[in-house]
Amino acid sequence: MFADLARVWALWRPRGQWLLIGIAVAILSALSAVALLALAGHGVALGVAAGGGALAILLLRPMMLLRPFLRWAERMASHEAAFRALADTRVWFFRRLAERMPAGLGLTAAGDARARMLADIEALDGLYLRAVLPAVAALAVVLAVAVILAGAPWLALAVAAPLGAALLLPFWLARDAAAAAERVARARGMVHRAALDPLLGLTETLSANAEGRAAARLREATEAMHGAEARLARRAALGGAAGFLLAQLALIGALAWALAAREGAGAAAPVGLAVLGLFMALAAAEVLGLAPRAGAALAQAGAAARRLFTLADTPPPVAEPAIPAAMPTGHTVRFEGVTFAWDPARGAVLQGLDLEWREGERIALLGPSGAGKSTILQLLLKLAAPQAGRITLGGVDLAALPAAAVRARIATLTQDARIFDASIAENLRIAAPEAPDAALWRVLAQVGLADLVRALPQGLDTPCGEGGARFSGGQARRIALARALLPAAPLLVLDEPTSGLDAETERAFLEVLEAATRGRSVLLITHRLTGVERPDRVLRLIGGRLLPATG
Amino acid sequence: MKGRRRDPGRALLAAETRRLGARAWLPVLLGLAVAACGIAQAWLFARLVAGMLGHEAGGWWDLAGAAALMVLAAALTAGQEIAQSAAGRAARAGLRARAFAALLTLGPADTRPAGDKATLVVERVEAMDGYFAKWLPALLLALLVPGAIILAVAAIDWVSALVLLVMGLLVPVGMALAGIGAAAASRRQFEALARLSGRFVDRVRGLPTLVLFNRQEEEARILEAQADELRRRTMKVLRIAFLSTGILEFLAAATLAYLAWRHGVLLGARHPDPVAALWVILLVPSFFQPLRNFSGAYHEAQSARGAAAELAPLLAQPVVSGGLRLAEVPRRVTVTFHDVRLSYAPGRPPALDGLSFSLAAGETLLLAGPSGAGKSSVIALLLGFRRADSGRIAINGQDIGLLRPEELRRLSAHVGQRAHIFAGTIAENIAMAREGATREQVLAAAEAAQVMAFARDLPQGIDTPVGEGGYGLSGGQAQRVALARAFLRDAPLVLLDEPTASLDPGTEDAVIEAIRRLCVGRTAIIATHSAAALRGLPGRLLVLEAGRAVGRRMAGD
Repeated sequence: MFADLARVWALWRPRGQWLLIGIAVAILSALSAVALLALAGHGVALGVAAGGGALAILLLRPMMLLRPFLRWAERMASHEAAFRALADTRVWFFRRLAERMPAGLGLTAAGDARARMLADIEALDGLYLRAVLPAVAALAVVLAVAVILAGAPWLALAVAAPLGAALLLPFWLARDAAAAAERVARARGMVHRAALDPLLGLTETLSANAEGRAAARLREATEAMHGAEARLARRAALGGAAGFLLAQLALIGALAWALAAREGAGAAAPVGLAVLGLFMALAAAEVLGLAPRAGAALAQAGAAARRLFTLADTPPPVAEPAIPAAMPTGHTVRFEGVTFAWDPARGAVLQGLDLEWREGERIALLGPSGAGKSTILQLLLKLAAPQAGRITLGGVDLAALPAAAVRARIATLTQDARIFDASIAENLRIAAPEAPDAALWRVLAQVGLADLVRALPQGLDTPCGEGGARFSGGQARRIALARALLPAAPLLVLDEPTSGLDAETERAFLEVLEAATRGRSVLLITHRLTGVERPDRVLRLIGGRLLPATG
Repeated sequence: MKGRRRDPGRALLAAETRRLGARAWLPVLLGLAVAACGIAQAWLFARLVAGMLGHEAGGWWDLAGAAALMVLAAALTAGQEIAQSAAGRAARAGLRARAFAALLTLGPADTRPAGDKATLVVERVEAMDGYFAKWLPALLLALLVPGAIILAVAAIDWVSALVLLVMGLLVPVGMALAGIGAAAASRRQFEALARLSGRFVDRVRGLPTLVLFNRQEEEARILEAQADELRRRTMKVLRIAFLSTGILEFLAAATLAYLAWRHGVLLGARHPDPVAALWVILLVPSFFQPLRNFSGAYHEAQSARGAAAELAPLLAQPVVSGGLRLAEVPRRVTVTFHDVRLSYAPGRPPALDGLSFSLAAGETLLLAGPSGAGKSSVIALLLGFRRADSGRIAINGQDIGLLRPEELRRLSAHVGQRAHIFAGTIAENIAMAREGATREQVLAAAEAAQVMAFARDLPQGIDTPVGEGGYGLSGGQAQRVALARAFLRDAPLVLLDEPTASLDPGTEDAVIEAIRRLCVGRTAIIATHSAAALRGLPGRLLVLEAGRAVGRRMAGD
């Protein structure tokens, strides 16, 4: 766990200056809290000897103003630093994912990894704000107490020893808290699934009269999560109580020392020191009260860091060539004896597949879902690499070409093409950042959306909503299709372009497809032909090979 | 006050608090007990310190008492924390169960995506935890504990009590002064922060799309610039918002300083009651701690109110639908539609516009027509997902409007356009159609629907895990699982909505064959626009257009 946290810290190093300023101000702020109470106690104690406490009381006045200011400055500095560090983490993580998991997280077994990612990144700011800062501040207080009371070693020991022990508490608590927090997170994932699954299959659930069973499963998942949470809460409560006891022990220790000293020395007892010790222990209790929480934050950040780094350290699916070959001028694509399996245990999806896709040729590729049609697309886009055989573009092996250059040649509509939470124009320009409005209108017209968009009050600037929620499923799909048609790439691959479109729109689109893609190589991947497509060739994917379709 | 009452989020939280009852009060009582321990302990500490200062007070017995109180307070603190988290869990469990039940009752009539609904049931309910587990006890203790301390101090020194009272009252005033200007701006800021997080998640989800268009680096730079801009603006707001913390600290420090001065000077001038004087000073941290806790828990209420406002409309739905129960499921049913009208929204053309037909027991009706003609609406009405605006729908001569929707569904087996496969084994996916189905019945249904034809080749046969995280079934395989459900359900009425829409031709023939056998001896309504299905299935054909019947003939004509 600490290795992961050290790596997080290393990521934050460019912001080191800010992080250190935050720490420094936090230490000053904690010390000012101790000074305030110590001065008050000192003033009262010396008040016995008339006027003796005047200096302490006098010093209280600036401290009275300094303390609130330092507290404010602490929060400002720590948040400034945390915001900067966290933004860095996000961007680093985003770049890393783009490099390591270009095909997205959807292919990983853990379906809720994505859901947890944001929470994990946010848990990392707990590392600084809720673990490092309180721990460092508490350490400073304990050291200050030990130094100030050094005149009476036994008193210093009686006060500082329990406080020092309280400092170690977070580390002791963090040990198992990480596993417990992980159990809670897993249980929460189960609750999400228990809620989502019957809602995804809502008509199935209702028409099978399975509402009661679905509710019972959700209740069971909730109970399991609450059980894990209750254990975590009990641990936290015990940790908190232990911290409270240790801070109080410092108080009792100071008083016991004073009582013993009075019995030993009578009137000559060091009253001032004893009272000082008492009030300092009182002040330290406030600062150290946060220590057990720091343990939980530490554990959470540790577990989050491990999950994030596991994702970020996934090896890239296809290594970039060390010395990339020059991009070929032609763009005939050839698959030569390509064999590929996602998982060796499940057998090969493609088995010695051959395909020649000539320049300007329009191929329709048929096959039932799950046959490996989309795998061909992934291989072509260098999101995966063949385990045997090779793929060439314009006669050059794909493995020798940089992925970005290959992808720039191929405009794609994938099945998971996402509509972003941005305007229609921004969504389209993802494919061609420099495209003028006229080009956007042209592709919108090709997919039969131009009239609809023109009728919207904001036109091209209409926000699409998350995942295109502003539009119906068919309309969102058509925006994605328009986006794929926008760039002037010589190769165009459309994977089930008309899924989610009603029959009429499907036909209308397939009829304009030819005009929209004239002169380009087109690969149309679909599970059935409607009859209006006019491909040059129709191929069927059977048993991992492509055969000419008959009939 | 009136404006507050109307706020549905606040009303929901208040109702939930009443529902929690004793569970909401237990942490407060324990918190009060902790405070009482602290007050008593401060008295013992004061006696001990007074003894040190040369007064006749304090000894080992006082120390032992303080130690005992320490242990008691530690136990009570732990108890309070456990009780708080238990209150939060109880509130969430209740809310989640009711929200989920409401979503099931609304059914497909609530057209929000399933993901959004699941977010309501899981994340939104989780977001309300802080209100019950932190904010509510913190609020009550911030009122009660300082109040009790003021009363206790007043018995000894009314000036000190007055100072505490004034300072205590200044805390909310000061926080409000710092907060009023900042509150609106800070809410906007935090919304902007949430938007940035949203953008990040959105772009990560669509990462493959960005990568394919080589836009990932550009997007990373935009994320960077936006985060920077947002931080700059947020810090501007926090500069003022954090003043409330400073004000609280200032008031605490000023109170302490004043009381130390007052009693310190008095002590020198032969204070009449030195123990009481020290006690008052030692109580200052205990006086401000609950206020500090409340300030720390303040934001919990805000996020909970946001979540509550989203949940409130859903929970306002009546969960139990009215209507009769079914004594028993008849073996054979007739179906009659008479002049049935249905529209989904006032502005849109009606889905069904005076549709009439009748179906004898054991007869199959093929509903054809373009999409949007009303085929799915007929099935939605027979499943009780919708209610007709006018006209009469009868099964065996009885108006179906009299039945509870879930009772109506007991009469039918339904297969939709794209079958959902639940996380679980294939056998479990079939068995869900009928509670208490035996293994033999499930296997027979799987055989009848030709599920076994592909399940045999899977690693664990019919016990292969499928759905989320399991083995992926193709559209045709999923559709056959759905048909197996219909076989297992063995209901007198079969409702099929485009059962072959997502199939390739080879699979379609096999599925149609299974459908034909499913319909034997049952009353069936099949909506389809597939030519193969229209040819392959016997029965009467009813062509719909714009919610009306435009043609009737026997299939195969």
